[in-house]
Amino acid sequence: MPPDPLLNPSGQAPKGTLGRRIASALEGITREKVTETGFANAVVNGPLIAAGAGILALEDTLLMEGEDALVIAAGPSLHRFDTARIIKESGFKGVIVATESAMAWCLRHDILPHLVVTLDPHPHRIVRWFGDPELTEEALVHDDYFARQDMDPKFWEDQLRFNRELLGLINKFGPDIRIAVASSASPAVVGRIRESGMAAYWWNPMYDDYDLADGLTVRIHALNGLPCVNAGGNVGSACWVFAHAVLRKRRVGLVGMDFSYYSDTPYRQTQYYKEILALVGPDRLDEVFVRMQNPHLGKEFYTDPAYLWYRDAFGEMAQQAECETYNCTGGGILFGPGIRWTALPEFLSLCKATA
Amino acid sequence: MSDILKGNFKPQKPVEANQEEDLNAQFEREALKRLGGSIAFVSKKKFLYGAEQDRQDTHSDAS
Repeated sequence: MPPDPLLNPSGQAPKGTLGRRIASALEGITREKVTETGFANAVVNGPLIAAGAGILALEDTLLMEGEDALVIAAGPSLHRFDTARIIKESGFKGVIVATESAMAWCLRHDILPHLVVTLDPHPHRIVRWFGDPELTEEALVHDDYFARQDMDPKFWEDQLRFNRELLGLINKFGPDIRIAVASSASPAVVGRIRESGMAAYWWNPMYDDYDLADGLTVRIHALNGLPCVNAGGNVGSACWVFAHAVLRKRRVGLVGMDFSYYSDTPYRQTQYYKEILALVGPDRLDEVFVRMQNPHLGKEFYTDPAYLWYRDAFGEMAQQAECETYNCTGGGILFGPGIRWTALPEFLSLCKATA
Repeated sequence: MSDILKGNFKPQKPVEANQEEDLNAQFEREALKRLGGSIAFVSKKKFLYGAEQDRQDTHSDAS
């Protein structure tokens, strides 16, 4: 068997080397992965998009008032600190933008996000964050992602029972929720958005360089006329883009944006564990997972190729953005130029003092 | 179709198709896709495309 160009460059590699190489290839690989499904979903969603509102309609809402926003993503630090209490007791008056994966956490802690964002075209998984009316015991046997993930520990419990509770929770608060839904969202997610009575604001994810005359971004824009948003590869980054580029906030705080795992998290609880295991086998896992020291905490975290790519992409975007970005996550690997490492209470006090 | 295409020209040099390598590369690409992100990211580009045009269209419609 000839040597594989990416996976077997010269036999066993130093720790993290392979992970970094994979991360550097993920811009193109992700585009290949999501384009077909994203476009197919955009076609299915076409009639709803034509009859509904685009994200520019958010400019006519109260969400444009004020200069501050707090993005709530679903990284593990959200659950390691008393984040909800700190937010609620601060009396924060800014706009709260949450990932769909953090929506259940917000609602369980009596925090109603002003805007929720969803984008991933996956046909089955994303709808679980909304409560999946089609979820069965058999489906859980075939996909244990939610039993393993570290984004919301409530999903480790009796999953069918929790799913029923979540259906009720989302149905209860749906009419009070605005959601920025990408044209790439699956029919299952769009079905739940409609069923629960959320107000949908549509947009296109940017797929490639919009200066390419026959590029994917130009084509999707021509298909439905929606603005295209450079979403940074993941929904957490997309929330931050919405906060400053669409809602025009000057200061944006981040919580739950770890892009990594705490060192006591077993590999099997990571997002892509099964896929990485299938790719390289059990003996080479240390080559794929990348360890990084957070200088603000003097603590080591580890990450996988996708999270590393998200982190690098965010770092590039943060330097380009006109807003001030405060990472109040309290853990993880999102630090560097353009990102102010700040304690959450400090950020909230800053917003309060200058509101 | 295969009868039409088969053997209707003679290559100047013998061609050896490395099917095993092609399959490996294909397998790797498919496997790596499973490690990919949730959505695309376009490096060194602005955050929004098409918004200004849509705003102009909206104002034109309203006027």
